[in-house]
Order: sequence, then structure tokens, then C-alpha cells
Amino acid sequence: MTKRRFIIDTDTASDDAVAILMALEWPDVQVDAITMVFGNMPIEQGGINARYTVELCGQETPVYQGTARPLLREPYYAEFFHGSDGMGEMHYPPPKRPLAGMDAVNELVRRFREAPGEITLITLGPLTNIALALSLEPKMAEWVKECYIMGGAACTVGNITPAAEYNIWCDPEAARMVFHSGMKIMMVGWEHCRGEANLDDEEMAMVYGFGTERAKFAMDCNQSALKASREWLGDPGLGLPDPMTMAIALNRDVCTRSSMHYVDVACDELTRGMTVVDELGVTNKEPNIEVCWEIDPVLWKETLYQTLR
Amino acid sequence: MPKKLLIDTDPGVDDAMAILFALNSPELDLVGLTTIYGNVYVEQATENALRILEFAGRRDVPVAQGAAKPLLTPLEGVAHFVHGSDGLGETRQPPPTGEAVDQPAAEFIVETIIANPGEVTLMPVGPLTNIAIAVELDPRIVDNVAQVVIMGGAATVNGNVNPAAEANIWGDPHAADIVFGAGWPLTMVGLDVTMQIVMDATYLDALKEAGGRTAAYIHDITRFYLDFHRRIHGLGGLHTHDPSAVAYAIDPTLFATIRGGMRVLTEGIAAGMTLMDRRGEWYGEHAWTGRPPVDVCVEVDAERLLALYLERIVAAP
Repeated sequence: MTKRRFIIDTDTASDDAVAILMALEWPDVQVDAITMVFGNMPIEQGGINARYTVELCGQETPVYQGTARPLLREPYYAEFFHGSDGMGEMHYPPPKRPLAGMDAVNELVRRFREAPGEITLITLGPLTNIALALSLEPKMAEWVKECYIMGGAACTVGNITPAAEYNIWCDPEAARMVFHSGMKIMMVGWEHCRGEANLDDEEMAMVYGFGTERAKFAMDCNQSALKASREWLGDPGLGLPDPMTMAIALNRDVCTRSSMHYVDVACDELTRGMTVVDELGVTNKEPNIEVCWEIDPVLWKETLYQTLR
Repeated sequence: MPKKLLIDTDPGVDDAMAILFALNSPELDLVGLTTIYGNVYVEQATENALRILEFAGRRDVPVAQGAAKPLLTPLEGVAHFVHGSDGLGETRQPPPTGEAVDQPAAEFIVETIIANPGEVTLMPVGPLTNIAIAVELDPRIVDNVAQVVIMGGAATVNGNVNPAAEANIWGDPHAADIVFGAGWPLTMVGLDVTMQIVMDATYLDALKEAGGRTAAYIHDITRFYLDFHRRIHGLGGLHTHDPSAVAYAIDPTLFATIRGGMRVLTEGIAAGMTLMDRRGEWYGEHAWTGRPPVDVCVEVDAERLLALYLERIVAAP
């Protein structure tokens, strides 16, 4: 069986870890590489978390360190959400394998150049690495088979400001560069992990009940995120934006409604990082992004559970 | 030992004048040219860079092609009306025989600086896209570059695209804000000084008269450029932009500088404006607080600079 090839760009904290795990465990997918970007965590801690996750899954996927800062802004980490270690204060032991390299951007360009049209890109953090790769080599946009972006908020509230979702807000200029690059992109906004897509207490207990190390890991490391999800976002249970995006990349049927639109990213102070979706086509601008509007919560959870059982 | 010089360029008449100045100055060792859109499209810039090196008999100097457009904003067009549709004053030179190296400019910049720690003078004389990508790709270049000398910006005078903005900075204001904030030893050679240095028709004729084929080449390519200055500025000469950056690298005592944090405005009617903190002391924090100081040339001994340029070009083959 030829497997589908993925590269994951991530700022690994707890929900990124689950998304990585899902891809590593999915039967017809092979993860070629993981590239790190600052975001939830300072770049070094993200790399530690990603490698720990890879090792937990018994894999040897190379992890490359990338950009440590936004293009023009100051970094703003999310320890307040994911815990000081990004992993729900579990303070897992350090990974055994070192980073595979310190030049994630060149590595992205190199890998997509070698296999044009064959590799799917999934981004789970700020888009700095991807923006730089596209600037360095504009043909990247054609070489990427398709790109699933966890980021933005399509015509709805943000989670870091009223206007903006965290990943896009962290480096709005990079996001704007990526959105206008011509790359085939599906944007999966953070809103899809809310409401019915949250894992409630019963579901989390069920996951623990799977009895696997992976299931325990996926729930344990998200304890800080669960608390923040409830106390800070006022959601009923655990929201998992990165795993939701990964679920769509693994199993396209999880997204039940999507359409192409012109989407731009606001870079001014009040609306910094807002993903402005021209839902009605009033700008008459060429659509550049496939926007995910609805997901199937049952199928999403089944997709997640399949990788944890 | 001569300074290793890496010029990022969009040739461009004054770019060509600067490159030939550098090639004929013993204080400098040109180790590469990286190209950028700006005066011309990037493909044309690469062709012209190769042409100029071939004219000078310096095929050994590598050329790496860079970005074709700004980081975020669309490319608004190029300056054919200033430099001619070929970028070399409508001189219609034959195509170059050599080729650029198979490596993007930003990577070439990083590799050159890292391979020669503390030795490379990086000299962007076009929009700053390649430089911004390079510093983001590998921030170690900040501590490993000898100095960055930028032709661009206008700190104490009006711009030349509009009252706010100078053309190179206006070309990619986001990249410029990254480059000015990177924290490396940086000197801006902007309109504050370059517009004080005028090469008039008499000067260019004297250059040709006294010199050889290099001087004649410069005389040729400046005809169209001179005409632009006459039409737009009512000036009987041309502003010495890019060669001034080379002059700074040869002899910084030609200039007087001021020091302070610099921000580049990225949006609105003044996008591309280089706005400098010329005061330093403030009551509260603002967008300049903590910006690494840069040096900005505000005065120049134009007479001495023009004499130096003439001397080097006349002595050239």
C-alpha cells in the first residue's frame, strides 16, 4: 500500500501532540518530517514535546527546529493555556533522540522540491516557517499537494482577541503571505473544536478506559488545556483544535461543508490576525482559500478514538 | 586586507555604477551579487548583474537570484521610467553568457556570512526582501556579519516616491522594518546624503574623457538616467545613490552619522517611511522603545566623494 505523505509544521503543546500522534498512528499515512515553529511554546520546548510524542508512538520521524520568532512581532507564548511545559504540567522525561536539524525552512523547501505534488502539509502553529519557505522558493506553492491550516476563525469570534485566533494572530504578516501564496489551502478555524466537538467528562473517561499508553498520554497532557478551555473560554469540555484539523486531513469526510472564498488577514492593531472571509463574494476577488464551515462531531471523535485505542 | 563585500542589487544604472566602483577599489573584495526586483524585475536584475561582471572581466564573482516580489505587498511595478526598460539606460547590451548559481539569494547570503564570520559587509541597494528572509532563516548572521550598509530610506528629508518614502524601502516596507530591527551594526546611506551628491554632465564627460572603457560604459548607461533627473528634478546631473553606499564602505569618514532606533511604517499613506527616534529620551514606552540603534548618514563631503569615485573609475581598465 502506498501511504499518503504528510509533513507537520507545529508549535507542539498538548493538542499539537495529539494531532501528531493521530497522524503517526493512521494506517495509510506516513509522516515524513515534523518542523517546529515558535508559538504555544518557545521553539526549544516545542521540539522537546514533538520528539517525546514521536518516541511515545515508537517512531523515528525527524524533527527540525525552525523559526523562533514572528516576522515583525514579539513572540507571545501560551503557557497560560497549555501549562509551563506545554504538556499539562506532566513534565515528561526528555526525548532520547536529538533534533534532526536546525534549518526547518530549508528542509521544507528541500522535501517539497524532491516530491512535487506528493506531500500534504498540515500546519498547527503560526505560519512563519511556511511564509519564509514560500518567500525563499515561490514554487513551493505548487509543490505542496494541499495544505490544512489550523488557524483563523471564519466569520466568528477569536480566542486570543475578539477578532483573532491565536496561530494567525501570533504572526499575521506570515499568515497573509501564506494565504496569498497560491498554495492549495483549507482553513480549519478554531471554532470547529467547540460545542459538540468538545470532549465531555464521560468521553474523556471513556478514552482513559481504552487503557493504552497513547490514550492516557492524550488526556493527561491536555489537563491544563481542559482547565483553560472551561475557565477561560467558557466551553463545556476539552477543545482540540489541532486534532480536529488533523482529523480532516486524515479523513476528509470529517468536514461536511466547505467552500472557496477570498480570505485576507488583517494586520492592524485592533483586528490583528483576523481572518476576513469574503463569504458573500462582495469583493469580487479571486477565492484563495477553502474554508471549512461544518464538521461531523461523531465522525471527528471516531477518527480521534481510532488512533488512541 | 580588503573587506569582503556582498551587494544585494537591482541593477539599475546607479547599481551598475556602484558595482564597478567596488570592483575597482582595492579596499573591497566583491564576493558575490544577489539580485532583487526593484529598478527592474528580478530576472532582468540577474541578467544585468551577470552582464556587469562580464563587462568587468569578473565572471568569478557568483550571482544568486533573489525574491521576485515583496514579502506581503504585491509588486507595484518597476522603475523602467528611471533606468530604462533594460535597467541599463536603454543601452541594449547583448545577453550575458554566464548563469546565476542554483541557490536562492537569501540562502547564499546566509552561507557567505556564516562561512566568513565577522568579515562580510552586506550591502543592500534595493528593496530589502532578500535580507529580511536571510535574517529570519538564520538569525546567527546578525552576530556574524561585519556590517550592513543600506542604500535606502530618508530620515531627515522627504522621500523620492512620495513625501514619506524612499523607493527601496517603499518597495518592501515589512522587510525593511525587519532589517532595521535585527540588531546588527547597520548604517543607512539614504536620501539625506545621496541627494547632496550630484554628478553633473560636466563631471560625467570629464570621467569619460580621462578614463578607459569602464568610464565610457558609465557615461553610456547614464544618458537615460541623466535625462530622467532633468525631466523630473530639473537637475543638470544625477543623484549619487548606490555608489554612496560603496563609498561608505571604502571610507566612512566621508560621512557624518546620527544614531537611534528606526521603525519603518508598513501601512497607510506613509508606508515605507523610515521614522527615526532622534531624541532618545522619552517619558513612556512606544514602538521605538528597545529598538537597536542604527547609524544614519546625515552629512557628506560630496566633493571628496566625487573625487574618489572619479579617481577609481578613471584608473579602471
